[in-house]
Amino acid sequence: MIRYAIRRIPSALLVLFLASIAVFALIHLAKGDPAALAAGPDASPAEIAAKRHQLGLDDSLASQYLNWLRGELTGDLGNAYISGGSIGELVRNGLGNTVELTSGAVVLALALGGAAGMGMGVSRRRPVNAVLNALTTLAFAVPTYVSGVLLVLVLAVIFPILPAGGHESLLRDPTIGVQYLIMPALCLSLPAAATIARFLATSMRQVLDEDFLATGVAKGLKTRRLLFRHALPNALPPVLTIVGIQIGQMLGGAIVVEAIFAWPGVGQLLRDSVLDHEYLIVQDLLLFAVAVFIVLQMITDLVHAYIDPRIRTEH
Amino acid sequence: MSDLYSANLSRRRFLAGSLGVGGAVLLASCTAAVSRDKSGRSKPVQGGTLRMVQTADIAPATLLSQNNPNFSICRTVFNTLTEYDHKTLDPKPSLATHWNISDGGKTYVLSLRDDVKYHTGRPFGPDDVVNVIDILKQDTTSSQLKHVAAICDARKTGANEVTLTFSQAVSNVFDLFEVMIVVDKETYPDLLAGRKFIGTGPFTMQSYRPGSGYTLKRNDQYWKAGRPYLDGVEVAVVTQSSSAVSSLRSGQSQLALDLAPLDAIGLKGSAGFQLVPSDAQDSVFYLGQNVTVPPLDKVEVRQAIAQAIDRERILSQVLGGIGHTSSIPWSPSSSAFDVSKRDTYRHDPAKAKQLLATAGASGASVDIYYNAGFAPNAGIAEIVQFDLTSAGLKATAKPQQAADFFSLLSGSGIPGLFVNVHGFGQLHPATLVKGAFPFNARANAERFTSQQYSDLATKMWTTTDQTAAKGVYADMNDLLIKEQFVTDLVVSSHTYTISTKLNGLAWNMFDYINLDDAYLST
Repeated sequence: MIRYAIRRIPSALLVLFLASIAVFALIHLAKGDPAALAAGPDASPAEIAAKRHQLGLDDSLASQYLNWLRGELTGDLGNAYISGGSIGELVRNGLGNTVELTSGAVVLALALGGAAGMGMGVSRRRPVNAVLNALTTLAFAVPTYVSGVLLVLVLAVIFPILPAGGHESLLRDPTIGVQYLIMPALCLSLPAAATIARFLATSMRQVLDEDFLATGVAKGLKTRRLLFRHALPNALPPVLTIVGIQIGQMLGGAIVVEAIFAWPGVGQLLRDSVLDHEYLIVQDLLLFAVAVFIVLQMITDLVHAYIDPRIRTEH
Repeated sequence: MSDLYSANLSRRRFLAGSLGVGGAVLLASCTAAVSRDKSGRSKPVQGGTLRMVQTADIAPATLLSQNNPNFSICRTVFNTLTEYDHKTLDPKPSLATHWNISDGGKTYVLSLRDDVKYHTGRPFGPDDVVNVIDILKQDTTSSQLKHVAAICDARKTGANEVTLTFSQAVSNVFDLFEVMIVVDKETYPDLLAGRKFIGTGPFTMQSYRPGSGYTLKRNDQYWKAGRPYLDGVEVAVVTQSSSAVSSLRSGQSQLALDLAPLDAIGLKGSAGFQLVPSDAQDSVFYLGQNVTVPPLDKVEVRQAIAQAIDRERILSQVLGGIGHTSSIPWSPSSSAFDVSKRDTYRHDPAKAKQLLATAGASGASVDIYYNAGFAPNAGIAEIVQFDLTSAGLKATAKPQQAADFFSLLSGSGIPGLFVNVHGFGQLHPATLVKGAFPFNARANAERFTSQQYSDLATKMWTTTDQTAAKGVYADMNDLLIKEQFVTDLVVSSHTYTISTKLNGLAWNMFDYINLDDAYLST
């Protein structure tokens, strides 16, 4: 198994290397000169040229690529062109905030989707099903940029009980931090909650028709025990697959929610960096995304190999 | 599915569950990030934290030039040597207590305060002024007033005295003193990298979170006794103007800098808010015309374009009425402002058509470039496109990303017309023609060169006698109106949208906000 894992490393490194070239080339194909923005307003062409030289943007592309690669390998990601701040710190802060937002959204999606899914799967009362159906349809259909604005209007403007936007770290001030988190996390979680609810409801309905549950009823088991100890565990596997996909989608969808709620996450950082031609930040973030994908792919391959020995022997 | 499970989720349970979820949300918000802002005070006493939003992050590397995102930090963490009186434009003491000008205006001897300390505890002194002048001379430092620093030799001539000797007498030295923050020489490299912000101002930087904002704390050692009133300031970067409006409406913040004009106007009539346009009026929307690109190489075409544009429509529909239309670049505070020339170009499509026909340019194509990252630009570009098409040109609006727009502007040149904003019309006229890139007589964004223009710009800079200068200003206005390489549209203002709880907000003539006397009331 270990030898199998080690054999995967060279190909992973090769993919990462090729990705670094592709990312670097793509960014530098775009028009525009970050030095023009970094030099500030009204900068003369001579000042911009001096700034370009200071930032190393007048080096050959090969030299810029090698410098960047050296920085990546040594852990020195360099400084942002415009703010001058440490890129490592920017990326770390952004990632931390996005993970915080997505984690909050996952918790809410599981809670709301789980409750609604159980309700829809278990209840045969038409009004209850109709309401839950309508709510999940609405949550699924309304895009986050609409639900986000509506949430702000209701919970921050008409009834000002939550902040309209911004961020406070949960670690630094949990009481205030959670209030900043609720609305963006809720907004991000709604489509995922609806999806989870639909899948859970379908899965529950299938399981509830199984004979073993009728046996449980005949044995006199309590309904709560039947549902949560016997039905739910059997209904969950297909739902868990969906939850995994939804987490990925939420990470991707965070970019819109971050913009609406002024949440300083990695999505906002990437968007701003693309607009400002902050080459190094964009390169770092894209390469990081590729690296995460490669690691996840490797883990999947290893799990498959662990489960199915034929894969190990074939390779 | 069997009935026996469905009975367990009654309507009552469902409703109770729904209320529980709603209640949990409400409960979590009862000690609220919002309600913590509601404890204001009725009188100007010390205490409280001002919460402010701005749409872009600060750019520490450009702190020595006037750069909009830095408005919130330049005069809160740092100080300048002098500050203009907004009515008389006379310089008033700040870090410099008084000054003696001699040698025909070539020598300035500044006496500095002896009770000022940097946030590190190090005393401020003449070496710090010498240092910042030297930094301004470096190639990699950009500043609109660099041309003044470039001809200045600064020396320490006493324990609290610095002497600035200029190679020639110039008229805008106090503009330099107004824009130039006095940074700490020991930590300047850290300032450039956004690591340390050490100044002499009323607040110290407690934490800077690149991309999201920063927190300031009261400087207990501030040299103005009893100031500031506020305990601290929290600045959040909210890139969407509409989100900044929500932040204000919800009471989460009390000050928003430079909201998109139509968002700001939307709050104008709302109870609890005030829209305060800066009296500096240094946000001038203009149409640049690259004079090397046909048909803009013909002066009649440029004049026709100036005549074709409906400035009133731009002012009312795009800028929410903030400002006034103008054909000249100066704010009313400037000594070059001439009310009789302000409306030289009024919307007159017939005259525009006639001028185009005279130039043989009817039906010619022109592209209108603009930075799409700044909301008003698109509205202005659309109106300009419509007006020019009505006048008989084939006009096409071309939105650009900021980096593309500014690299074109300063690089190969924008191949046509462009919508943009300039400042520097509010103080000494020489600062505009020597420091603002659209007008810079040495090299400008429109590629306009003329010996007469260059001579007039130099005269404006070196004429220190106000009476003599009046004639130069009149000649300059005539030239700008005739040549139309810059077609000024609307003289507008940076805006501060504030909660009525915030009192005592001030700013300098470059719009650096000054919170020395600011306080929060109920």
